[in-house]
Amino acid sequence: MEFPTRKWTMVIDFDKCTGCGACVVACHAENNVPIVREQEIVRGRAMHWMRIERYWDGTYPNIRARFMPVLCQQCGRAPCEPVCPVYAANHSERENLNLQIYNRCVGTRYCLANDPYKVRFFNYFDPVFDKPLDQQLNPDVTVRSAGIMEKCTFCIQRIRRGEEQALVENRPLRDAEVTPACVQTCPPGALVFGDLNDPGGQVAKLLANNRRQFKLLDHLGTEPSVYYLKGGESHVSD
Amino acid sequence: MTHKFTRRDFLKLGTAGIASAVLAGCEMPRRWVTLEPFVRPPEEQLAGVATWYASTCRQCPAGCGILVRTMNGRALKIEGNPEHPLNRGKLCARGQAGLQILYNPDRLSGAVQQTKRGSRDFRQLSWEAALNTLFSTIQAAGSSVIIWGGSTMSGHLYDLFQRFTAAIGAPAPVVFDLYTGMSGHRLLAEASRDLLGRVGLPIYDLSHADVALSFGADFLGTGLSSVRYGAEFGNFRSQPLGKRGYLVQLEPRMSITGAVADRWLPIRPGAEAMVAQAIARIIADQSLGPVDRVTRARTLAGNVDVNAVATASDISVEELQRLARSFATAEHPLAIPGDALTGQDNATEAVTAVQALNIIAGTVGQSGGFSLSTPAPSPALVKPVVSSLADVQKLIEQMRADQVKALMVYGANPAYDLPEEMGFTEALGHVPFVVSFAPIVDETAIWADLILPDRTYLESWGYEVVAPSFDVPVVGSQQPIVTPVFDARSTGDVLLTLAKGIPAAAKALSWADEVAFLIESIGQLPAGAAGGSGVDVLWARFQQHGGWWPASSPVSVPPASTLSQAIQVTPTRFEGSEQEYPYFLHLYLSNLLSDGRGANQPWLQGSPDPMTTVAWQTLVEINPNTAHQLGIQDGDVVRITSPHGELEAPVYTFPAIRPDTVAIPVGQGHSDYGRYARNRGGNVMRLVGAQAGAQGGNLNWATLRVKITRTGRKVALALFENKTGVTEGFVNQAFPGQ
Repeated sequence: MEFPTRKWTMVIDFDKCTGCGACVVACHAENNVPIVREQEIVRGRAMHWMRIERYWDGTYPNIRARFMPVLCQQCGRAPCEPVCPVYAANHSERENLNLQIYNRCVGTRYCLANDPYKVRFFNYFDPVFDKPLDQQLNPDVTVRSAGIMEKCTFCIQRIRRGEEQALVENRPLRDAEVTPACVQTCPPGALVFGDLNDPGGQVAKLLANNRRQFKLLDHLGTEPSVYYLKGGESHVSD
Repeated sequence: MTHKFTRRDFLKLGTAGIASAVLAGCEMPRRWVTLEPFVRPPEEQLAGVATWYASTCRQCPAGCGILVRTMNGRALKIEGNPEHPLNRGKLCARGQAGLQILYNPDRLSGAVQQTKRGSRDFRQLSWEAALNTLFSTIQAAGSSVIIWGGSTMSGHLYDLFQRFTAAIGAPAPVVFDLYTGMSGHRLLAEASRDLLGRVGLPIYDLSHADVALSFGADFLGTGLSSVRYGAEFGNFRSQPLGKRGYLVQLEPRMSITGAVADRWLPIRPGAEAMVAQAIARIIADQSLGPVDRVTRARTLAGNVDVNAVATASDISVEELQRLARSFATAEHPLAIPGDALTGQDNATEAVTAVQALNIIAGTVGQSGGFSLSTPAPSPALVKPVVSSLADVQKLIEQMRADQVKALMVYGANPAYDLPEEMGFTEALGHVPFVVSFAPIVDETAIWADLILPDRTYLESWGYEVVAPSFDVPVVGSQQPIVTPVFDARSTGDVLLTLAKGIPAAAKALSWADEVAFLIESIGQLPAGAAGGSGVDVLWARFQQHGGWWPASSPVSVPPASTLSQAIQVTPTRFEGSEQEYPYFLHLYLSNLLSDGRGANQPWLQGSPDPMTTVAWQTLVEINPNTAHQLGIQDGDVVRITSPHGELEAPVYTFPAIRPDTVAIPVGQGHSDYGRYARNRGGNVMRLVGAQAGAQGGNLNWATLRVKITRTGRKVALALFENKTGVTEGFVNQAFPGQ
């Protein structure tokens, strides 16, 4: 049996995102992303595959804060991929995912320089998990060592787990059966994940005729797989 | 009693008690996991295949259901339990980080004794010796034993503590921690009595509301149940037929709830209740909305002058009228009192004034309205009842008067949680024997003579009567996910072993171990959604599904309002004169570290705070214009002085805060509590005084004034954002209105 071609897609609804940070911690837990110490953050070396960007809009007292969860956009035409001299940044046509092959990576950081979203992270040091914190590590995900570039994978291990389970049960993968850790935990349901090739799937339905949708830095021609929905208008007038 | 119980007898008994627990393990394999070679793998283990166990999160008092993924005996990931009626598969950042409590490198292994209190010179002790020390002291202390618990302890343990203290004639356990103190759990529950005639935590059906006025409630960040309200907020924003809820947030410093609100109004601290009253007044005077609302508003609206409120609150008359109109004409309006209201000197009145808007709206018990959390489904199951601050003060007085011979602290950290002025640590000096059950040495444990580390929640048994419970009553189950990682012993079993030696307690606590007690308690639940019959099946399904809840929602009778006259609110009084202390102090629970209990988890410490993007650090948030006037920049260390104490921390210029207010998150400032928490700034509770609010219940933490002094030092802020060109610009711009 062949796996069908996927177009894994995430939709992020600004109208629902509360900026609570549950996705950030869920991602650390699922993907063995190390926590960097205070001094490294000061040096601008913080590592979070999923981050909440907070933007200010207006001035006091008419000020608003807006949250934007940013993760690897899993571009259809990723600027970070062709610059890798060792083909560590690789494209999966079947899943429409940008793969990062850790044991090929030699740490040139060309991909980081060419990444317009700044969602790739470089391990300046070997990660430290004080014992027994190492027991929390997810065995499905490689722990990256110093000198390696890493990034969000749309939780490919969870996708594979779902696909294999469907294969074992000899059935097609159900819509919403696989979710990355961030989507799974999001309390308000601001993050939605699915296969855009499935016309009846929740992602396709959510995006159909949705005038709130946009893609981040879409004008660069990167064809991101993450769609954002702008904040909505309320029926209550001010 | 004629029979003299000797130390030697107890030693025998203690060993027998422990032996019986081990024996029980052989009889009932469901209780204990035994180590076996993999040639005979356990039933649930398949190499490379994960096993999931249902349990209950203990990071805050809400009690979300969790599923924990395990493989080869290791807990790997915590996710929400999709079946659980409270959180429906969702979790917050704190819930996700629970593994780092389990696998925390600073956990104690085995019991320890401290030769001199505060010396941090711990001597390892065998459990038998430790239990004997505990026994002999508790026995000698007679009825002068006090148990101090935290709000996140399992219901069965609270039950056992209560039975123990009742049996030996000691006062009932005191339950107090900073989380419930700052979210006002007790005060909100008590205020319901005046409103609806019954004590209970308020719940708001945000999913079906169309206009919500939040008076400083950061219900999406911390509060009573941030996960549930997060999910409710998602529904609030995408209701059927394209309806979208409208949220107005009134608060002096923008919280994450304020950030996602449709309107954010920087209200003057302490003026929230006044604004609620003015809204009621306008509805009454201008006959806004349906007739019945106007009638109720005329009864309940206090005699307030709207113009005076506008001046005192910095919310214009037009704005007040707009709020009143939106509220009165909405089909399902909601008014939510915030955390800060419960920390004011007029707390109960302030909460009542806001809740009165819900009474005026007539939405009590209805879809999109305000109602009360359901009580426990059986009297056999209990939820720790948070004590009032008056009770806490009384206890500290007793300690000071040498009336307390032994203090047992479980799941709480009063030395960190309470203001220094309350004199808790000093009063500890008068208590001859202090026992802590903390898994990690915290600020209270360093003053203990004996530490008997408890297992963490992913290694323990228990249940949780969920409060606030929304649609149905829920009892969450808690079971060990993995074999204990460290040599810790369950406090429930320690207590039962201890009770065996004290004749009065032995009768009241006759269970072989805590699991026997749990099975007995759970067996008294009525029929639930999981079905089944017989103790074994019911107990197994209780664990399997993550708890008990009824198959269908009970028919709820909307409670009737008992409010019948106009609400009077005493004006909020702030401590410190305006001349000497020119700024309001706004404290808030960090949505990552909560009340400080998250500070020992690197995932929470190292994740950026959503509003400031700062990690690992304590900071003082100041409006950029105020900072400019004071000649302060980001990272400049300032001294914040209140009438009660002082604290030094670096400044973070925050554009969404009133220029007359400084905000500090609670959560850092630990002097102990493990390597990740230690020495990260000062504890903000130093700034808070010892007084309880005029109406008793809570700390007066929201009515403080402070002054700012420069220290001349500067530190680099651990920011995720780059502020260049972002908030710098705010300073140079014209500043309307201020």
